[in-house]
Amino acid sequence: MLTGSKTTFKVRQMLPDIKERMLSQSGMNARSRDVFGLRCLPGECVLQRAVMVRKKLSAREGRGWLSGTLFCTHFRVAFVPQDSPKPDDNADPVLLGDHDVALASIEKVVVVGPNRTKLVTPNSSLKFTPEELVLYCRDMRVICFLFDRLTPDTQVLEMTYTIAKTYQPPKPGSVLSFQNAALGSVEMKQFLSNRRRDSHMNWCESVSDWEQELERCGASGWRVSSVNDRFEMSTSLPRFIVVPQKVLDTELKKSFAHFNEGRIPRWCWRHPRGSDLLRMASFQNNIYYEKDDVRNLEMVLFGCQSSLCVVVELGEELPSPADIQLAHGRLRSLCLGDISTSVSVPDDKWLSSLESTRWLDYARSCLKKASEVACLLRGSHLTVALQEAEDRDMSCVVSSLVQVMCDPHCRTQRGFQGLVQKEWVTAGHRFYSRVNHHRDNDKEEAPVFLLFLDCVWQLLYQFPSRFQLTNDFLLALHDSVHLPLFSSFLANCQRERCKRHQNSGQSYTPVNGWRDTLHSDSSPDPCDPPLPPVWDWALQYSQQRRDAFTQPVPPLPPAQPLLNGNLNTNPDSHRSDAVPGSVFLLSRGTFSCPANLLPWRGSGGSSVYKKSHRRAASSENVPGLERLLKAWALTELPCGLGSSSSSRPQGPLDPYEPLLPLLTGPCMGLWRECYLRGALHAQAFSHPVSANHAHPVERLAREVQQLKDKLAQVSAGTPHSPPPAKVAEPRRSDTNLNQNTNNGTFLFPAQRPQGPAGPRAVPAPTSTNHQTSRGPPPSSAPPTRPAHRDAGGSNKQSFLFGDLSAREQQQVHYYAATSNAKLPKGSGSSMAS
Amino acid sequence: MEKQHPAAVGGDGPGPSSSRKPWGSPSCGPSGGGGGGGSETLDSPTGSHVEWCKQLIAATICSQISGPVPSDMASRDSKNLPGLRFGSNAKMFQNKVPLLPGENIQTTVKDVMYICPFSGLVNGVLTVTDYKLYFVRVERESPFILDVNLGVISRLEKISVPNQGENTRGLELVCKDMRSHRFAYKTEESPLDLVPLLTGLAFPLSHSTSLFAFQYKEVFPVDGWKVYDPLAEYKRQGLPNESWTISKVNSTYELCDTYPSVLVIPTNITDEDVKRVAAFRAKHRIPVLSWIHPETQATIVRCSQPLVGPSDRRCKEDERLLQIIMDANAQSHKLAIFDARQCSVAITNKAKDGGFESESFYPNVEMHFLEIPNIHVMRESLRKMKDVLYPTIDEAHWHSAIDQTHWLEYILLILAGAARMADKLESGKTSVVVHCSDGWDRTAQLTSLAMLMLDSHYRTLRGFQVLVEKEWISFGHKFAARVGHGDENHANSERSPLFVQFIDCVWQMTRQFPAAFEFNELFLITVLDHLYSCLFGTFLYNSEQERTAKEVPAETLSLWSYINSQPEDFTNPFYVDYEHHVLYPLVSPRHLELWSSYYARWNPRMRPQVPVHQNLKEILVLRAELQRRVEELQREASSSHSLSSSHSSPSPTHAAGTPLHTVV
Repeated sequence: MLTGSKTTFKVRQMLPDIKERMLSQSGMNARSRDVFGLRCLPGECVLQRAVMVRKKLSAREGRGWLSGTLFCTHFRVAFVPQDSPKPDDNADPVLLGDHDVALASIEKVVVVGPNRTKLVTPNSSLKFTPEELVLYCRDMRVICFLFDRLTPDTQVLEMTYTIAKTYQPPKPGSVLSFQNAALGSVEMKQFLSNRRRDSHMNWCESVSDWEQELERCGASGWRVSSVNDRFEMSTSLPRFIVVPQKVLDTELKKSFAHFNEGRIPRWCWRHPRGSDLLRMASFQNNIYYEKDDVRNLEMVLFGCQSSLCVVVELGEELPSPADIQLAHGRLRSLCLGDISTSVSVPDDKWLSSLESTRWLDYARSCLKKASEVACLLRGSHLTVALQEAEDRDMSCVVSSLVQVMCDPHCRTQRGFQGLVQKEWVTAGHRFYSRVNHHRDNDKEEAPVFLLFLDCVWQLLYQFPSRFQLTNDFLLALHDSVHLPLFSSFLANCQRERCKRHQNSGQSYTPVNGWRDTLHSDSSPDPCDPPLPPVWDWALQYSQQRRDAFTQPVPPLPPAQPLLNGNLNTNPDSHRSDAVPGSVFLLSRGTFSCPANLLPWRGSGGSSVYKKSHRRAASSENVPGLERLLKAWALTELPCGLGSSSSSRPQGPLDPYEPLLPLLTGPCMGLWRECYLRGALHAQAFSHPVSANHAHPVERLAREVQQLKDKLAQVSAGTPHSPPPAKVAEPRRSDTNLNQNTNNGTFLFPAQRPQGPAGPRAVPAPTSTNHQTSRGPPPSSAPPTRPAHRDAGGSNKQSFLFGDLSAREQQQVHYYAATSNAKLPKGSGSSMAS
Repeated sequence: MEKQHPAAVGGDGPGPSSSRKPWGSPSCGPSGGGGGGGSETLDSPTGSHVEWCKQLIAATICSQISGPVPSDMASRDSKNLPGLRFGSNAKMFQNKVPLLPGENIQTTVKDVMYICPFSGLVNGVLTVTDYKLYFVRVERESPFILDVNLGVISRLEKISVPNQGENTRGLELVCKDMRSHRFAYKTEESPLDLVPLLTGLAFPLSHSTSLFAFQYKEVFPVDGWKVYDPLAEYKRQGLPNESWTISKVNSTYELCDTYPSVLVIPTNITDEDVKRVAAFRAKHRIPVLSWIHPETQATIVRCSQPLVGPSDRRCKEDERLLQIIMDANAQSHKLAIFDARQCSVAITNKAKDGGFESESFYPNVEMHFLEIPNIHVMRESLRKMKDVLYPTIDEAHWHSAIDQTHWLEYILLILAGAARMADKLESGKTSVVVHCSDGWDRTAQLTSLAMLMLDSHYRTLRGFQVLVEKEWISFGHKFAARVGHGDENHANSERSPLFVQFIDCVWQMTRQFPAAFEFNELFLITVLDHLYSCLFGTFLYNSEQERTAKEVPAETLSLWSYINSQPEDFTNPFYVDYEHHVLYPLVSPRHLELWSSYYARWNPRMRPQVPVHQNLKEILVLRAELQRRVEELQREASSSHSLSSSHSSPSPTHAAGTPLHTVV
C-alpha cells in the first residue's frame, strides 16, 4: 500500500482541471513517459487517477484480487499493480499493459453501490459512491475494480465520470479520435513509421510473397499474375492473384466479367498430395460470352490439373452473415448476462440457452464443410473450387479452416498469420463493414472472423498437441479485432488499404488534440503514419504475454517447408479412372454433374463444352469422390465394419493428414476462456489457486528452456575444453536441421533476446521468479520441493516410462536430435547477453 | 526392445510375453486395438492412438475392441511410449479367450450376431466365462471384440429379432454403465440355453452362488487392503487429542451395525450417553468425527437425522454431544449443521419419526439445508442421461437434452454444498455437522468432497483411496444395495448412482484444478468400472460388519492392489502439491461440464483425438534428459576447466526445478 501522506499529496496534485493537466503532460512530460508509475504512450495524458483500487482477477489469472492504482487516460483505462516493477523508459511503447483496457473496447460502464447497480452514461450523475466499477468490453471481457474505503470519494466519482465521458460510445467518428489518442502523437507516428514488419511471416502482398507461398506449397503449374495490379479488373481482389501458368493475362482478362465482382477462380493452396484449392465468386449470369470464354474459364478452373474439378457450393449449408451476427449477439448477452441489471440466465437453463444461440451449430457447420473439403483434397490431382456468391465471407472461413486442418504450417503462429493475410486480409474479407467499428452500417455487421476463430479454437481444443499457436494467441487476436487501430481490420479490401496508404492525411486528424478536430481537414499532416497491422504484437502486448502465444513443445511432426507433392506416395486410384475435365458440384454432401453449372452453357456454346469433355463418362468418377468423402464419415463414425481400408492414410505420422474434428454434441466445446472471462457469476469464495490449465505446463516449459539455456551456456563456456562428443555433434547436425525447420522458432519460442533471457543467464533464478511474474501466488511452489526431487531423481525416468533401458536410450537419441537443433541458437543468444 | 513391448509379441502366439507383469491385466486381456469398435483402429495407428488404446483398455473392462494393430507399429511407437502392460494381441489372433486367473469358460456359442448400434450386424463367436462375455468377430480382416464383464449387467432381456429365421433368439444386456448390447443367436448352435446360463452367472447372489471376486486369483505385489488403516489415518489428522478420542464403543458393531469399528468421538462423553444418542439418531448413526482442521480444530462431523418425530422429541445427551463438539473448537461459538435434504423433505420426515435439529433446542446452532434431492431422483436423472447418450446423440438438441436430465444441476448442488461446508470450516472456523436421512448417501458425498477441498492429502493417489475407504466404504455407504452387485432385481428402488455422482464431482474438480490432483481421469474411470465389475472385493457389501463377516479382505483382492501395482498409469504427470490450499471449485453451470469421456465413451464418435498426456510426458522426459545433460556438462566442465559462473555446483539445477511430480 502507498503511504498515506504520499497519496494525499499526489491526489491534490491531480485535482487541477483536465485541460491544464493535459497541457502539462503532453508538453513537458513528453519525454519521460512515466507518470505516477504508469508508463504513458507519447502524448498520452492521465485524466484521472484513483489509488487503493483492487482489480478482480479472473480464474485464469489466479482469481482473487490485485491492488494497485487505477488510471484513466484519453486512450485507456490502466491499472498498475502496486508492486509492479518500475517501467523502463527506454523500452518501446506498448499500447496496453497486462491489466489495461482501451477505451474503445469498453462497451458499458456499470457501477455497483452499497445495494444497487447503475449503468453509467456520459450524462449520468451518481447519487452514491460506487464500491465497484465494472467495465463490460466489446471483446467479452468484464473487468471489475473494487474501490477501497480508503480511496477518496472524489477520486472514485471523478474516475467513474471520466471513464463514462471518455469511453467511446459506438457512433460514427469516434473511431478517429480514438486512433489519434493512441497513435496520433508525433513520437508515436515516428515510432510507427520506423517499425519494421515481421519478416518471418508471409504477408501475401507482393509478387515475391506469393511466389514464396507457391514454392512452400510446392505448387508448380501456377504463376502470379499482376493483371489486377491497379485494381482495374476487380476492385475487391488483391493486386496479385495466382492463376494457372498456361493461362495468359489476355485470356484471363476475359474471364473477370463472368464472375460476381470479377472474383475469378484463384489458387489458394495446394495439398501435398497434389490437389489444389481454389476459391471464386458465383457466375455472373446473362453476360454475353464467346466461345473462348468457356475455354478460358475451364483453363482457369482446372488449373494445372487435368482430371477432376469439384465445385463446392458454400451458400446453402452455412450460416449467412446475418445469422452469425444474430447468434453472436445472443451468445454475448448469454455470457455477459443482462448488463445493466447483472441478472444472468437461470442456472438450469444455461445449456439450453447456449444451444438456442445457435453459435455452436454454426461453428459446427463450418467445420463440417471444411472437413468435407479437406477430405476431397486428400484425393490427389483434383481441383476443389469453393464458390460463394460474393466470395468474401464463408469462403474465407472454409478455405482457411481447410488449411488449418491440413497444413501444419498454418498451425504455427507465423503460419496462421500468413493464412489470415492470405485468405482474409488481402482476399478482401470486408472487415471494415463486418466489424463495423465506424458504426456506419449496422446491417452489414457480422463477426464472421470471430466465428472462424471459434472454429480454430474447436480444432485446437480437440487437437491440442498439433498446434504450435495457443489459446492465448487466439484470444489476443480475438481482442484485437475489437480495437479500431489496425489496418488489417479497418478496410474492406486491399484497394482501400492502399488508398489509405497513399493519402492517409485525409483519414487522419492530426496530433495535438484529443478530440480537437479543428485542424483535421485543413492541415493534413503529410507524414501521418499508416495504422499498424495487427501482427505487430510487440506494440500491443508485453513480451511475457507474447511468449504465451506459442506452445513450448513442438507439435509432433516437425514442419517441413517443402512439400512439392512428394507425399503423393500412393498411386492414387482416382487419377487412373478419372476422365479429364469433369466438373462436379458438391452440395449437401452429394455430388452431381449439373447440366448448367456454368450458367451460360446450355444455349449456343454448349456444344463446344460437351465435345471437349466427354461428359458421359464423367459420372463414373462419382463413386471415387464419394469414397473420399466417406473417408471422413468413417473417421467420424468408425463403424463401417466391412469397409475396406484402401483409402487409409499411409503413415501414422503423416503431418498432412487433416485434423478432422468430431462434431457431435459433446465434442463441440464452448470457448470459455474467451466468452466467460467475465465470470461475474463466479462464486463468492475466491481463493488464489490457479485454475489455469497451462500453468504448470508453462512452468515446466520454462524450466526446459532454462535448462537448455544453461546447457548452451555451459557448452559455450567450454569451447575448447574437450567434451567433443557433446559439442561437436550439435554443430554438425545443425546444418541439416536448419534445412528442415526453416524457422527456428518452431521448437521453442526460443531466441528471446531480452526479457526472460536476462535473468536466465544467471544461474541463480528459480521457479519462484516465474511465478511472481505469472500471477499466481508463490505459495504454490513449496520451497521444500528440491529435497524431495533429489531423493527421487534417479529412478524417476524409469518409473514413468516403463522399465526398459533400451527404449530409454532411444528416447535419448530422439530428443538429442531436437535439442541439438536449438543449441547453437541458444548459445548465440546467451553469448550475446 | 521389442520383447519389452507387449504388443510387439503380436505375431508369435499366445506364449507368455516377457514384459507383461503377472498382474498386468485384471480388467481385460486382449487389447491391441482399441476403441469404440469397428474398423476405426485401422485408421491411423499413431502413437497417440496406442496411448489412447491403452487408456481405453485399462479404463473399460468390457469394451468393444477391434482392429489388428500392425505389429511393426509397436516398435515404431515404443520409443515414445511406455509399454502396454495389458496383454497382447497375440491371443486375439488365435481366437483364444484371454482368461484371468481363476476364470473358467462356461460355454461357447458360434454363429452369434452382435447387433451393434453403430455399425449394424456383426457375426462372430460368443464365449461366456464366469466373469465375462467375450465376443469375437469371425472375419479376420477387420477384427472386432466385445468384452463385457457380467457384473456390469443390470438386466437381461429377450428381444425379438426379425428376419433372421425361426430359430433365432434375441438377447439384450442392459448395462449399468450407460450402454446396452444386443445379440441374436441360433438355438441349435447353443448347447445350453443362453439366457438362464447368463442369468445365473450375472446374478450369482440371486442364485445362491458367489461373486467372481471370491474366485479371482491374481497375485499383486502390493496389498491394497493395507491402504486404509483407520488408526493411522486419524493419527495423521492428529487424533486422538485432548478433545477427541478414538472409541472402542462400536468395536463389535453393537452400537451401530453400519458404522466402522473405530470411531472418533468427543472425550467428554460416556459410553452410556453415546448409547442414548444412538437411540435418538436414525439407524444409530451417532455424530462422529470425519475430519479435523489441523490448525483451527474445527471438525467435520457426520451423523444421521435425529429422530425428532412429529412431537418434537428431545434428547439431552444428543444436545450435549453437539455442544461438546462445538466447544471442542475454541475458534467459534457456533455450530453449523448442514442438512443435505430439501427443507420441505426434512419437515415431512418428521412425520416419519425423523426430522432435524431445532435451533431452539440446540443453542448456537445454525441449520443449513442444501436442497439436494434424494436417491430416486438421481437414479432417474442418470437414466435420462443414458437415453440422451446411448446409442445415438442428437446433435441439434444436445445441450437442451442434457439440461433436461438435470444431472449437472445436481452435481452443482452437491459441489456447492460441499464448498459451503468447506468455506464454513476454513473461513468461518466453525465446526460442521452433516447429515441427510440415514447419513450414508448424500452425507458421504458431502463430507468426502469437503475433505477433498480442504485437505491436500486426499488429492494424492493414496490419499484418495483412503478417502473412499473411509468416508464411503467403512462408514457404510450401501454399495451392495445402491449398485446391486450380483442381484437380479434391477428395478429395486434402493439402487442409485450416488458414488458415480461423487466421482463425477471429483472429476469436475480435477477439470478446474488440473494440477491439484495426483490421480488422473483414467483412475476415476477405473474406479467406476470396478464399482460394477465384482472383480475386486473393495466395493462389495453394505457395511464393514458384513465385509468382516464374509472375510472379504482375506477372500478377495482389493482394487487398490491393482491400481497401486502400476501407479504410473493412474498418475497425473503435472501434479503439484498445493499443500494447505483449499480448493473451491467454481460452482456455476457455466463452469461445469458433462463428463462425456465417461458417460459417452461407448460412442465411437467420442474417440479422443489427441492424448495430451502423451505430450506432457514427453516434456517431462525432455526435462529429465536436459537435466541430465546439464549435470553431465557441468561435471565435465568443472573437471577439465575452472570456469567462471556456470558451474558453481549442480545444485542450482535442482533448485530451478518446478515442484512437479514426475512420479508417485
